Amino acid sequence: MSSVLITGASRGIGLELARDYAADGWRVHACCRRPETAAELTRFLEGRDARLHRLDVTEATDIAALAATLVPEPIDLLINNAGIFGGEQDFGAVDYDSWEQVWRTNVIAPYRVAEAFVPHVAASGLRCMAFVSSISGSIASVDEGGGYIYQSSKTGLNMVVANLARDLAGRGITVLALHPGWVRTDMGGADAPVSPEESIAGLRRVIAESGPERSGTLWDYRGERLPW
Amino acid sequence: MPTVLVTGASRGLGREFCRQYAAEGWRVLATMRDPDAASPFDRDDIERYRLDVSDRDRILELARELEGTAIDLLVNNAGMWGGDEEEGFGRCSDALWMEELRVHVLGTMAMCEAFAPHVAASAQKRIVQISSGNGSLGREDNTSTYPYNSTKAALNMITRGMAFDLRGRGITVVALSPGYVATDMSGPDADLTPDESVSAMRTVIERLGPTDSGGFRRYTGEIYPW
Repeated sequence: MSSVLITGASRGIGLELARDYAADGWRVHACCRRPETAAELTRFLEGRDARLHRLDVTEATDIAALAATLVPEPIDLLINNAGIFGGEQDFGAVDYDSWEQVWRTNVIAPYRVAEAFVPHVAASGLRCMAFVSSISGSIASVDEGGGYIYQSSKTGLNMVVANLARDLAGRGITVLALHPGWVRTDMGGADAPVSPEESIAGLRRVIAESGPERSGTLWDYRGERLPW
Repeated sequence: MPTVLVTGASRGLGREFCRQYAAEGWRVLATMRDPDAASPFDRDDIERYRLDVSDRDRILELARELEGTAIDLLVNNAGMWGGDEEEGFGRCSDALWMEELRVHVLGTMAMCEAFAPHVAASAQKRIVQISSGNGSLGREDNTSTYPYNSTKAALNMITRGMAFDLRGRGITVVALSPGYVATDMSGPDADLTPDESVSAMRTVIERLGPTDSGGFRRYTGEIYPW
């Protein structure tokens, strides 16, 4: 059976992905900052082929320790999902400390996780790295001001994906940026139009349909390619 | 005559922007980290100011010092590059990445926030960010430098957003790729001299209108893919 490692799996899209893959019989490595408080995830994973790992993606030592723990296990699919939105980001009132934290979490951390797990993914059958990005990072899709912190971080993440696609092509790894839609999660809020189920089903379909020819591109959960 | 403020003006493209606009008779405000060092200019009418764009308090202080000065053109030029050995896969450090974020993205945003009133009070009302072809996500022949590419792409993103936020004040803001220019940063093997690149960019800047705001162009004026 295939295996998947998911960051930020204690809630939102990460939690739904972990549940969905586990329910389908995948071996799931669900990672989150505080496993002891991830009650919902823990409950669901019990009795399944799944493991819960402590991982703060902004801590290099956490990443290195987990990568070492999982050697020599192949990981078919690495889903870099952990992300944050940030504080005040209107023109004239931008919270710069928040911007740095968001950049560390949304851009550098997924790169570091990818860097550490290249051997695991390269040793697998599927060889896919998926990054939960957003249409908010699509420069061509911008139609209003504000949102500078989150948007620029997702643009930066998209660039990481484009770079990794080039750098990892030789190892047969497909690298994807994904837009999950505006989903009813803690981050998306109760008014979001897309249910977690619809988003997850769509993301899984896009991942399943994607091979090396799609590496280094941005896709939405409905299966449409999005512009940079 | 119009007034231009240029960041990172001690060398490379920044110095060349100052030199050329001064030669055209503009009032030139040249900002640099160390204005006490020997002047990079061969004329004494270019005003030098101390500014490290990663120091937001100093940005705000300078904006206050220059309160009432109309700035026709703000050129956010200050930039940095970690070198091939420090930018690539498996090699780039968090420290370099964050430093480039502070200079290319946060510094540019802070300059725009602080100086939007000065620019809005001018006749030409233009802001130009010196970006890079490396920041183009769609560029097929790009090289995978992580801190540099990602922060330049982010710079293009905030420029696009700012076009909407600054439209009401009549400000046109664009990102320009200067081409591959022989400067201290890119080394001697480049395609263009600073003179050629800046001359071409000045022509592009001169022709910018409000409908161009938020765009990303080559020094030739051609639209660059995001």
